[in-house]
Formats: sequence, structure tokens, C-alpha cells
Amino acid sequence: MSITIIKPGVSCSIQDLGRWGYQQFGVPIGGAMDRISATTANRICGNDDHESVLECTLHGLEMKCNETLSFALTGGGARATINGVEIAYNRLIKVVAGSILKLHPDPHGCRSYIAIAGGLNIEKELGSASTYASSQLGGYKGRNLEAGDELVLNKSTVETDLSKDIIINEDGFGISKWKAQVTLLPHFLDVVEITCERGPEWDLFDEASQEQFFNQIFTIAPQSNRMGYRLDGATLFLKEKIELVSTPVTRGIIQVTNEGHPIILMADAQTIGGYPRIARITSGDLSKLAQCRPGMKLKFSL
Amino acid sequence: MRLHASLEEKSFDGFIESVPAYSSLTVYFNEDVSIKKVETTLLEYYNEFIASSTNNSNPIESVKHIIPVCYDAEFGLDLEEVATTCKLSIQEVIAMHTSIAFRVYMIGFVPGFAYMGTLPISLETKRKNNPRLTVPEGSVAIAGLQTGIYPATIPGGWNILGKTPVKMLDKSKDPCSFLQAGDIVQFKSITKNEFESYL
Repeated sequence: MSITIIKPGVSCSIQDLGRWGYQQFGVPIGGAMDRISATTANRICGNDDHESVLECTLHGLEMKCNETLSFALTGGGARATINGVEIAYNRLIKVVAGSILKLHPDPHGCRSYIAIAGGLNIEKELGSASTYASSQLGGYKGRNLEAGDELVLNKSTVETDLSKDIIINEDGFGISKWKAQVTLLPHFLDVVEITCERGPEWDLFDEASQEQFFNQIFTIAPQSNRMGYRLDGATLFLKEKIELVSTPVTRGIIQVTNEGHPIILMADAQTIGGYPRIARITSGDLSKLAQCRPGMKLKFSL
Repeated sequence: MRLHASLEEKSFDGFIESVPAYSSLTVYFNEDVSIKKVETTLLEYYNEFIASSTNNSNPIESVKHIIPVCYDAEFGLDLEEVATTCKLSIQEVIAMHTSIAFRVYMIGFVPGFAYMGTLPISLETKRKNNPRLTVPEGSVAIAGLQTGIYPATIPGGWNILGKTPVKMLDKSKDPCSFLQAGDIVQFKSITKNEFESYL
């Protein structure tokens, strides 16, 4: 039982809900950027919430199912086809051996999640299968997926209660009549509203910066990644220049560099940071933010 | 550190993990636990240890490590520059760096990276203006009044004095980090031959 990565696309890695309990040793939590979509994919398959999934950034993935299997595709950033025929997200899909899943460009969202019914057979490292490539931790050989990688699946669970009524069509796949309820994905041209709370160092920022933070529109910079989103737009400054003592930081915290550029810490955020923390994104909006790609515009509100 | 230790020993319902830093402790807990309840519990723990520390009963034992470092020019890429900036001889820099019992204040930046201090002011340096794209694993470096050991080959801007053969991060071990916040570290100068025989 396996699947083969023909092309990884923009970026594809194995993730779960993160590596908890190791931040005191400097190991980031990591895990799926959009936890809601990752969890939804597993639930559609009848998997445990902590099961490993594939996280695919934008489009380009080509994956071959070497056996008959059931899977779910959630999130966004792409349009999907199986054997050349377009399929819907957020449903359970049964495919025959040899079927090929491809992700094509789409203007909505940023990250797709693929869960396989029964789960991927990935060894956990420090309690998690999440890939943290900069320390060669977790996932497939501690790195992002590459062309030719073959991922072994757990024992077959194709014929589950959830999938047994799905009828395979002449194109080699079938789709569940039911689907998971999900929130709408942001469009590439939207200005996305993100709610946050004032951060511990909010009061240290000058009045103009405080006002700009909530009134200006910021753009996600191209060099953004799983570690953090850099924002272009207004530059924000402290009332007076001070060096802060480093403190623990985590996902959702917005810190501001000495040059005045905000950075939103994301899933692979470092555990300790020394920049002033202007705000913190409410945890409910972290998944929405994970579906925003570089170039997209953000507006912060309380 | 003591609050961190008590949380590790007896956690409360919904506790996930706690992370110590220089002057703070961050506590992670499940969203379904009320913050009020967490505050009360932490305050209880805090009062407990304040009470016990006034009795001076059970002080925390720090783990002490002697870490061998080879200060050979091959590894100590910035040793000469540091000596020049600090107006010291290379021997004096090494003597100072090996004479102090440093405290590990926190682990962070990357997995297994220990922030240690405090250096004497005469050995204070600025971070490099242009960080190196690769600092070799095991490099022992200084910046500001801090010293640290690179647990992996990564980019970095600290001034490199030498290299240790001791592995700082081993994911097959529990804990995975060789050093932990609160530990005491003293460096010991070794020759290149001794360094090689460690490997």
C-alpha cells in the first residue's frame, strides 16, 4: 500500500497537529498551518485528528495512488483533478489503483490538505510526524517531499462505513454524496480581515504606529513561509529605541523588526524571540491566515 | 525555573507545556481551560515555592557540565578578530572564556541552542554585521555578554571562538537537548588531537 509523489509542486510536506512539549529545548511546535482544514481532512476519512496529512502549498502536486484507496482533500490554493477530471474538495473520494491526483492553479486559498483513509505510515520523531526540515525532524526523511518519494500507507481501510456506498465511475473514481461544511476561502484579490489582541509591547509603540497598525492595509511579502509572514506596508516604530530581553514566542504573535516591518509568526515559528510584540492574532483566525498567500492584503481589527 | 520545575512535576488539567526564558516563563494550556483557573493555579505554585524558599529547604540542584572546546585557529574563526577588538591576546580570550561557570538561561533560536551568560564586559562583542551563511555544528561563539553553542550547521551572526565535539541535539535521546535551562557550563580548552580523539 503506497502513494508516489510524481511532482511535489510549489511545496509539499507531511504534517500533523504539531510537536508539543519540546519548546523548552528550542523545538518549534510546527504542524499543519491550517489546522482546521487538516483536521477536517482526517475526519472526512474517519481518521484520528492527529493522523499525518500532506500539506501542499498552492498548485503543482502530482500524486499517484498505487492501490485502490479513499482520501479527502480540504483547504485550497488549487483546483484538483483525478485522471484528468475535476473533483470537489471536502468530500470522501475513492480511487482505483494507478489513479493520478493533480493540483492546478486557483485564485482561492493557499494550502491543500490530503488525508488518506487509514493514514500514512510515518514514524513520529519527538512525538510528532510533522516535517521540520531545518532540523531534519519528522516527516519523510526529515525533509519536504520530492519527486519519486514513495509513502507507505497503513493497512487498507478503503471499505469503511464512510466509503462503502461510493460508486466508482468510468474515470476510476467516486465521490461521496455528503460533504464537510467549511468556511469560504479568501480570494487572491480580497482584503482579508484578521482579528487580533494588543500584544505585550503594544504600549511601547508610538501613537502613529499604533494607529497605522489598525488602519493601514498590509501585504504579505514574497519571502513569507511556514516560519513567518513578513508584511509590507506601514513601518512601525517604538517611542524610544530599546533592546528587549528575549521571551518565548509562538504562532500568531506579530513582532516588529528594528526596521519597522511586522512579521506574523506561523506554524514553524522559533520558540524564542527578541523583537517587540505589537499584537497577537486570535487563534480562530490562524487557519484563515494560513490560507492567505504572498501578495494578499490584510487588515487588522480588534 | 522553579515554577517550570513544579509544572513539569505536577501539571494542572489542560496544561500542555511551559517554556522558560531569561526573565519569563510562558505556559501553554488547552483553550477549554479558563484563564482565571490557570492564573489561580500558577499563583498557588508560586506562593508554594516562595514559602519553601524562605525556609531555604529544597534549593534546585543545577546540573554542571564541563564542555571541551578546541580553540584552534581552524575552528575559532573569529578568535583573532575578537582578541583585536577587545584589546586582548588570544590566550587571554581563551583564559577568560574557560574561567567562568556560565548559566544556561534558556534554550531557543534553533533546537538545542543554549543561551549562556554572563561574559565579563572586557569580552563584550557585537554580532557580525553580515551573519555567516553557514556556521559549522559545534561552534562555540559569543555575542553581547552571551555565549552559545551552535547545535547544527546553520546561518549565524555570533563570533566563533572554537568548536566542541559534544553533540548539543540528539533527537533519539530524552531530553533531546544536551543542555537545559538552569544548567551550569564550564568550558575546557582541548588540543586539536584531543578534539579528534573525541569523534
